[in-house]
Amino acid sequence: MGNLNGCEFPEELRYYVERAQWLWIRAEGMVVRVGVTDPAQTRAGRILVVRVKPAGTFRERGRPIASIESGKWAGPVMAPVSGELLEANPELEKDPSVINSDPYGKGWVARMRPSHAEQLNDLLSAATAQERFRGILEREGIHCHRLAPRNP
Amino acid sequence: MTDRSEGPPPPLGKKILILVTSGPEELDKTYAPFFIAALMSSMEIETSLYFLMHAPELLVTGAAEKLPLKRGGTLERFVQMAIDSGVTMYACTESVHDLCGLETSALRAGVKVVGSTTLADLALEADSVLSF
Repeated sequence: MGNLNGCEFPEELRYYVERAQWLWIRAEGMVVRVGVTDPAQTRAGRILVVRVKPAGTFRERGRPIASIESGKWAGPVMAPVSGELLEANPELEKDPSVINSDPYGKGWVARMRPSHAEQLNDLLSAATAQERFRGILEREGIHCHRLAPRNP
Repeated sequence: MTDRSEGPPPPLGKKILILVTSGPEELDKTYAPFFIAALMSSMEIETSLYFLMHAPELLVTGAAEKLPLKRGGTLERFVQMAIDSGVTMYACTESVHDLCGLETSALRAGVKVVGSTTLADLALEADSVLSF
């Protein structure tokens, strides 16, 4: 597990770091699970609303699959790969801030079925992502912290 | 959809125009339009911000970084949020030149300086218009 400014980057994940998009991707057979990284949840603060596109929606890479809103941040979650949206995380309906307490686990955002498997090869390893984040975290003054689960 | 309490996502192709009429003299009123614009754009609503009166002063290169917010940080965070989400920014040419006394080149990259005719077009084409 990589660690930079208190931000964790699990080795088993792949990362999509493009402009304001700081996402992780976990390959699970023919589908992928997508979520926001530790720096992204820290930047947002307590997340209040997550709205995910309906299951069955096809998204090209770089188009929104969800929007996230906190008291101090609002923006999209872009598709890190092209494909069909299969499912939104049902836990987010009850408590969107689970993203803040467990961004790489219970706080996943959506599952997708990639249409171009080769795009997975473009995603970053944990080590490469960490290097990419080094400057970003310094520039933005981000030191990661997790919120306590609302319903532990 | 995860946030059922707030209704279904908007249909694609919707447009919104947000007028920003407050500048640094009313800083408390300035971050909300950027925040809302970022959110709407991330929902794939075609979102335009139109700055008039003293609001174009918010768009002067480097200005937002020097405007502290009561909640912490500066306005720059919210301006960048809107840019990252794909919001289009327009500034009223009369306001820029006559009221604010600015040159077009003083504004940050990507801002389109346009006349009131464009405002009329944007308002008529939008599904909704908000004003701050």
